[in-house]
Amino acid sequence: MRRWYDIVRLRLRSLLRRGRVERELDRELRFHVDRQTEENIAAGIPPDQARRAALRGLGGLAYVEEECRDMRRTALWETFWYDLRYSCRALRRSPGFTAVITLTLALSIGANSAIFSVIEGVLLRPLPYPEQDRIVRFFLSSAAYPKFPVNAFDFLDFRARNRSFGSMAVMTRADVQLSGIGEPQRLSGFRVSAGYFRVLGLRPLRGREFETRDELPGNERVAILSHRLWRTRFGADPGILGRKLLLEGRPFTVVGVMPREMQHPGNEYRPVAYGDTVDLWWPFTFEGDPNQRGSHYIEGIGRLNRGVAPTQAGAEMNGIMAQLAREHPDNDSGWRVLVIPLYREIVGAAPRLLLVLLGAVALVLLIACANAANLLLARATGRQQEIAVRLALGAARSRLIRQMLTESALISVLGGAAGAIVATLGVKALAAMLPAGFPRAHDIHVNPAVFAFTLVVALSTGILFGLAPALQASRPDLRQSLRGSGRGVTGGVRHLRLRNSLVVAEVSLACVLLIGAGLMLRSFVNLLRADPGFHPEQVLTAGISLPEETYGSSKARKRFYDQLVARLGTLPAVDAAGLGTDLPWTGYDDNLGGFQIEGKQPAPHEEFHARYHAASPDYFRALGIPLVHGRFFTEADASEAPRVLMVNRAMAQQYWPGEDAIGKRINFFEDHPKDKDWTTIVGVVGDVKDTPEKSAAAPAFWWPLRQMPFGFAVMTIAVRAKSDPAPLAGAVRHTVGELDPTLALADVRLMHQIADASVSTPRFTLFLVGLFALLAAALAAIGTYGVVSYSVNQRTHEFGMRVALGATPRDVLRLVLAQGVKLAFGGVALGVLGALALARVLRSLLYEVSAADPLTFAAVSALALAIALLACYLPARRATRADPAVALRAE
Amino acid sequence: MSKSSDLIQGTLDLLILKIISLEPKHGWAIAKRIQQVSHEVLQVTQGALYPALHRLEQQGWIRAEWRASETGREAKFYALTRAGRGQLERELAQWERLSNAVGLVIRMV
Repeated sequence: MRRWYDIVRLRLRSLLRRGRVERELDRELRFHVDRQTEENIAAGIPPDQARRAALRGLGGLAYVEEECRDMRRTALWETFWYDLRYSCRALRRSPGFTAVITLTLALSIGANSAIFSVIEGVLLRPLPYPEQDRIVRFFLSSAAYPKFPVNAFDFLDFRARNRSFGSMAVMTRADVQLSGIGEPQRLSGFRVSAGYFRVLGLRPLRGREFETRDELPGNERVAILSHRLWRTRFGADPGILGRKLLLEGRPFTVVGVMPREMQHPGNEYRPVAYGDTVDLWWPFTFEGDPNQRGSHYIEGIGRLNRGVAPTQAGAEMNGIMAQLAREHPDNDSGWRVLVIPLYREIVGAAPRLLLVLLGAVALVLLIACANAANLLLARATGRQQEIAVRLALGAARSRLIRQMLTESALISVLGGAAGAIVATLGVKALAAMLPAGFPRAHDIHVNPAVFAFTLVVALSTGILFGLAPALQASRPDLRQSLRGSGRGVTGGVRHLRLRNSLVVAEVSLACVLLIGAGLMLRSFVNLLRADPGFHPEQVLTAGISLPEETYGSSKARKRFYDQLVARLGTLPAVDAAGLGTDLPWTGYDDNLGGFQIEGKQPAPHEEFHARYHAASPDYFRALGIPLVHGRFFTEADASEAPRVLMVNRAMAQQYWPGEDAIGKRINFFEDHPKDKDWTTIVGVVGDVKDTPEKSAAAPAFWWPLRQMPFGFAVMTIAVRAKSDPAPLAGAVRHTVGELDPTLALADVRLMHQIADASVSTPRFTLFLVGLFALLAAALAAIGTYGVVSYSVNQRTHEFGMRVALGATPRDVLRLVLAQGVKLAFGGVALGVLGALALARVLRSLLYEVSAADPLTFAAVSALALAIALLACYLPARRATRADPAVALRAE
Repeated sequence: MSKSSDLIQGTLDLLILKIISLEPKHGWAIAKRIQQVSHEVLQVTQGALYPALHRLEQQGWIRAEWRASETGREAKFYALTRAGRGQLERELAQWERLSNAVGLVIRMV
């Protein structure tokens, strides 16, 4: 320890205090010359010659000074440079070896860095809000609805009574149509309560944020613009404040512009992803009877006071909820309050997925390490004699180890540098491939943190794969190595054991990855094979929303929808055109309608309920949702006609198990219904699950558009084309424009794009894990090949003898294959055990496949053995060609 | 201008370490001592001595200190560090091995 302290001190001293060090050197040498001169004089040499003789004895003052300087500067580094140059030469001498090892390392280090940069951007980098760890989301929660929006008046009480929050706000999605300037445009909008931006810790760049007076009914005609909207739509107009905008046909005044950094924190109901995804905000107003608290559609967000933990805030909020339950037992009992840190809410399920991927690439890196170690060992064996000679001549073992570690570090740094390139390309590819709705996708970049990670990984990789070979090689069996070429000896036993265990490790790790990939493949195939319940091909969809100002009454909206459906249906390329409140697989809000069923009583403390929707007659045909029983809606189901309803199979089975649901009657709104209040079920359609990986569909029903009790202002158009649906977009837009030129279409998409997007997460995971597994399998095959091939080379003589003694080529082949298969068996056995142990991690990513699926395990084991056999086959063939004549002659 | 051509590479280090293991000495005294004890057989080129001293110092085997010499003038004295003592022992053992081996070879041939 002391020694290193001395070394560092001296190094710094010659570096920083050069002048003083130089003067000391001068003094030291002058002292020497003076003493020598004195002695020379004492020995009788004349004084003028004595000094010259002293200088001569030193061999030139300048020369000695330079040598001393050299010593100071490079004593430590010179060995390093020497080692480095030596390593470079060694690597250049075997370019094939260098290429294979660098390439495998580059791929695995690069893959690690790429995944790490995703993790860095998504999980490690803090959210861009000041003191972001104090921001939380809050929801209501009950047994039936684990995560539910809050009620507006409950929120007012939360805000008034709590002490945990510095500020608290609510938001709800409220897209608006901007008209009056150029093309009408649908804007992504949110209604937010006062102080919403304060919660996020952001101030408007210009103007003000919403205040409590904006929350009063009638005061909501003000808007705050996003920086993006201000730039793109208003040319960053400096006089934007006070300007009037026509939103939903009504004039709004711009009161603020948010800074560029403003990111929407993401929301749960009719979700808009985290990011620069919102165009405009307008005030949420508290209207209606404060004692009616049954309606839930706003989402809470708050900033905790310093030092208050989310759990403490949760406890206080639940206390307030309990008070509210006493004050409003009808609406507010049975709820708990859920307080979740914003960060956790935003990253959602991403950590698990990313950790699985990181685990997979880490395995690949381990395999690459084992592989590199194996290759180095093979090479070290070739150099055994050289090393033995150097040791015998007195080279220090530490010196040899250092030299070999320099070499492996050089390789790993080369691999790391190439890996950084792989990572840079990989991150671009990854970002493009990320599943739809992946949180914080635009925060993912290669940055210094990623490069630092790459460097650390590369260097530790180098030490990891270099150390074992270096230790092993620097301790050769001297007598054996020096005795000769090791003829007739199958390599050091110790040596072989290490190499064998490396191969077993490689095969087992590769097996774990292959099994993981196999499970995901099966899961993905199951997902694709599962019947979606509709036919997404050739369907074009678009959203439309009717402004309150021009379509104030439910009647006006229904009339518009009627005309729209009729016109769309007559377009020449259209097979079927429908309007509905919802589309499959696009998310849902827990819009649950409670109802009575004729002749049935719900269990105590429960009610009958199901998801409610509305649809035009051809909506189901347009989406390809099959009719199971009964009939679709028809033109006859008009507003004055008897009330009818369609249900899905899940609802029919839940409420009328073993019965025919057709003809059964439901009542929605009357406590004491008269005969005309009953709605009759006329058709049952097939189930469509919320998302493809859900295990079952939720019960749901549809009102005919003309009979729907709420005049839904937001609708989705679904048009089934006779052939390619994409060109229909123009015709649909034109049709809408003909009816009302101020209306804009939103979210024009093809249904199969929606279907694709909803399986994008499993596809993404499968692709990456599959890629990593292939890489792992290739590495393991190279490793197996290397070991078997090496041992065949060593045993050529032995094989020759065997053939001379009557062994057939088949015997020799079998002998070599047996060696490889034995290794592969060990690896596969360990790999299967490892995969079983890791099954728990995978389970949540799988769809209808057991994490211990026997078919996958068996198939992968067979595959791994086959690969191993293949890897052994080439060296085995070579072994059969061992020439008995050569072997005999050498004996 | 030969370097340490009359000494096997590495042996000079051993000699230096050995000589200052008894007591701290300055460069000139070390050179003198080597000549004396080897009965003038080992002529250390004094030019090689100082770089060697500086190298050993940089490696942490020896430590330098300015103090008054026998003539009263300040000189740079070198002393063995604790790590240097260990190094000396290792180098001695190494030397024994090598010289034995060489002796063996010479006798056998």
